[in-house]
Amino acid sequence: MFDLEQSIADWRKQMLAAGIKTPVPLEELEIHLREEIERQIKLGLSLNEQEAFHFSTRKIGQPKMLKNEFNKSERTFMRRTIIISAGIIGVAVGMGFVTPAIAKYNEQGTMVHDATIGFLIGIPIVFAGISMAIYGFKKRKA
Amino acid sequence: MYRVPMIRKELVAASAEPLILSLLSKGESYGYAIIQEVKARSDGKLNWTDGMLYPVLHRMEHRGLIKSRWAESETGRKRKYYSLKKDGKTAMAKHHEQWSLVHSVLAGLKKEQYV
Repeated sequence: MFDLEQSIADWRKQMLAAGIKTPVPLEELEIHLREEIERQIKLGLSLNEQEAFHFSTRKIGQPKMLKNEFNKSERTFMRRTIIISAGIIGVAVGMGFVTPAIAKYNEQGTMVHDATIGFLIGIPIVFAGISMAIYGFKKRKA
Repeated sequence: MYRVPMIRKELVAASAEPLILSLLSKGESYGYAIIQEVKARSDGKLNWTDGMLYPVLHRMEHRGLIKSRWAESETGRKRKYYSLKKDGKTAMAKHHEQWSLVHSVLAGLKKEQYV
């Protein structure tokens, strides 16, 4: 005898085994599955719960295929987050060179040798950091 | 009788984001309803694998185009509702512009074939 709840529990296990996370997105997928099963039965598109369940799980897709799609989305998000973080770190590191150089300049009224080097090293790092962060933010929106 | 073929998967994938954004511009919605509406509006020819909608929705949420909230439906079922954010509206306008351009070029070329 077909047990819908048991079948859904088994389907959840397959999804979890493929690496689909809970509660998100597994809960969302389960809600979708239940709605589709209900619709199949209500509209007479499936003869019974068993048929509706098999049809609906096929429509949702294979667990591995779904996981691959979620992975793509997560990888893209992670890559952009890393670019933005690297940019912000770059700005901080660059400012670590530039700020003491400016402080020395303010103190002594002239840019001494080591302050000049610090300034010249820091400025490109700051600009590179800003560019990376802007690039990362733009990529996020693209 | 001539049957309009199913739309190619590349085109289905490319049109997913503008369609989702446009549907959400009418008000918040949830995954199952989005799929049903797309199916109804395309006479079933835009055939999404149901589960594939969710990675797209999550990607759009990560990019700040849409936001989501869990709420209970009138039937008591928990659902994740998605709605458009400001950046989503901007992205939708860009999509409309680009798709309109493609459409007008295609329509112009088609018209020339019959002249």
